[in-house]
Amino acid sequence: MKLFARYNRVNLVTNIVLMLITGFAYYQAISWVLTRQKDKDLQNEEMEILEYVKYNQELPQVFESKYLQIAFKIVPTSSVKRKFIDTLYYKKWGKDNPKRRIYHTDGDYEPGRGLVTAVIAGHQYYKVIIVESKVETEDLIRIIFLITAGVILLLLLLLLMTSRLILNRLWRPFYSIMHELKLFNIAEPTAIPKLDTVIDEFKEMNAVVSEMAAKAKHDYQTLKTFTENASHEFNTPIAIINSKLDSLLQTDAFNEKQGKLLDDLYEGVSRINRLNQSLLLLVKIENRLLQEMQRIDLKTLIEEMLIQFEEIYQDKELILRYQLHEKEIFANSYLIEILLSNLITNAIRHNYTGGEMILELSNESFSIRNTGESRALSGDEIFTRFHKSSGSEGSGLGLTICRQICENFDLSLTYNFDSPYHIFTVLFPA
Amino acid sequence: MKILIVEDEQALRESIEDYFTEAGNICETANDYASALTKTNLYRYDCILLDITLPGGNGINLLENLKKNNYPDGVLIISARNSLDDRLLGLDLGADDYLVKPFHLSELKSRVTAIIRRKSFNGSNLLKFNEISIDLAGKEVKVGKRLVKLTPKEYGLLLYFIANQEKVVSKNAIAEHLWGDRIDIADNFKFIYSHIKNTRKKLMEAGSKDYIQAAYGTGYKFSAK
Repeated sequence: MKLFARYNRVNLVTNIVLMLITGFAYYQAISWVLTRQKDKDLQNEEMEILEYVKYNQELPQVFESKYLQIAFKIVPTSSVKRKFIDTLYYKKWGKDNPKRRIYHTDGDYEPGRGLVTAVIAGHQYYKVIIVESKVETEDLIRIIFLITAGVILLLLLLLLMTSRLILNRLWRPFYSIMHELKLFNIAEPTAIPKLDTVIDEFKEMNAVVSEMAAKAKHDYQTLKTFTENASHEFNTPIAIINSKLDSLLQTDAFNEKQGKLLDDLYEGVSRINRLNQSLLLLVKIENRLLQEMQRIDLKTLIEEMLIQFEEIYQDKELILRYQLHEKEIFANSYLIEILLSNLITNAIRHNYTGGEMILELSNESFSIRNTGESRALSGDEIFTRFHKSSGSEGSGLGLTICRQICENFDLSLTYNFDSPYHIFTVLFPA
Repeated sequence: MKILIVEDEQALRESIEDYFTEAGNICETANDYASALTKTNLYRYDCILLDITLPGGNGINLLENLKKNNYPDGVLIISARNSLDDRLLGLDLGADDYLVKPFHLSELKSRVTAIIRRKSFNGSNLLKFNEISIDLAGKEVKVGKRLVKLTPKEYGLLLYFIANQEKVVSKNAIAEHLWGDRIDIADNFKFIYSHIKNTRKKLMEAGSKDYIQAAYGTGYKFSAK
């Protein structure tokens, strides 16, 4: 829910409730005032009747009037209590009113206000009912109701319009900052641009976000530089250990036990070295230092790679199947070679003896599927740094490097498990 | 052959010197830019192993100086920076090869041997080791007069062994030489064994002596002794 939708909802409800209360109060007040007015009229009428009776000692003649009806009725003495009542007023329609024909009656009831009183004329006790039509009062109230409803509708409309306007205008800087944040890439050198706005809150937000982004980028850069320098510095000591091992190997005859130790040492150094080279490579890819692009004939490249790997997968007795169509991409050949070689290495390494490896290259994608562990790998974790499956002797950086390379060239790398195959797919940009 | 090792890291310099010093080889060393410059201006070498980052100067400048004076020395750059730009710059300026630290001494030796071979046997592409003769241009191997059919990897292996004859070469070095460092397969060396076994078998079937010896389970030695 958008902030303004929320705000509007609350605002609208309060306004409507307020309007309804106001309408009700109006109704009560006007109704009260008008009823008082009617009551006064009725009192006047009563007074006139009483005066008339006082002087003439008989009941006045009753004329039919448009707004007033008076009725006299003989009742037992003192049985009438004077009071005002809300009653009905029977309104007679005019002789030529079309309603007479439609309803087959000569009139209709409308709300009325009455006064019940008594008069003694010629020793006779009469109950007097004076009724006046209240139809104008009802009309008035209806008008008030309509006006209130109209105002509520107008308010609603205005609120909707202003919120639209505000969303589009006032909140534009906010959305602009959001957009920048979404695009934010810590590895990119571009800074978050300064926003053109007069609103203090947004100005501040823009400043804070820019500062934060700049700091994050700076820290990241420092870290990368550190990694790069550290890796480079590692190269020399590794070179020394390596060369000393090579020299040691030339010295004397070793027994089997010493030979095994030497073997383990070589293996350890080799792993440090590969790890270090992988880290250096990652830094280079992230820094986009390998930017020489060229057309690469993927089919030929993959075929060459398969020849390179022949001894290795044959040694593991893997069954290789492949279907390669012509496909060219525009990228850095060194990195694409690493991408392919890492994927193929994984497919061999995490396979079992006598397993399968299937490669497919089409115009849309390159996929490599291999048998291996019988359950799926965790799709997100495998691409994180130093995530290793149990028993793997790899550096734990292979897939991280693959993903980074793919990101560099707008390729997407995904993992699926379709028992018994683990499938890695590189999707080419459309 | 006469070799100059320009390397400021003492331990590494000594290892290289040890490895290259053998009958018929003269190794000289320089540990900074100035001494390297003096030596390269005074003497000629079959091959100069040149580190790029040196105290007192850049190895690239030394290379430029050599080329400016038209000295024919072979140059192999050894650098701790695996940068494509450095590599291209070095090769553009006339270096014969470029090797990134860390490396195996056997790899270095094989590269240096290849450079010297290219420089000295002008046109003659025949490499001989006792009864084995190798036509480097045609990539043909003969034992006596009998042709031995080797796969490209077995051929590479044989050249590597001959360049490092009488040395123990580790399995790691062989794997990296044949498959390159991009192929991260060091967790399995069994297939190297089968390559060596095949090469040895083919050579011996053609009448060669058994030169390839396993050494302590760690490596192999190509030895005439």
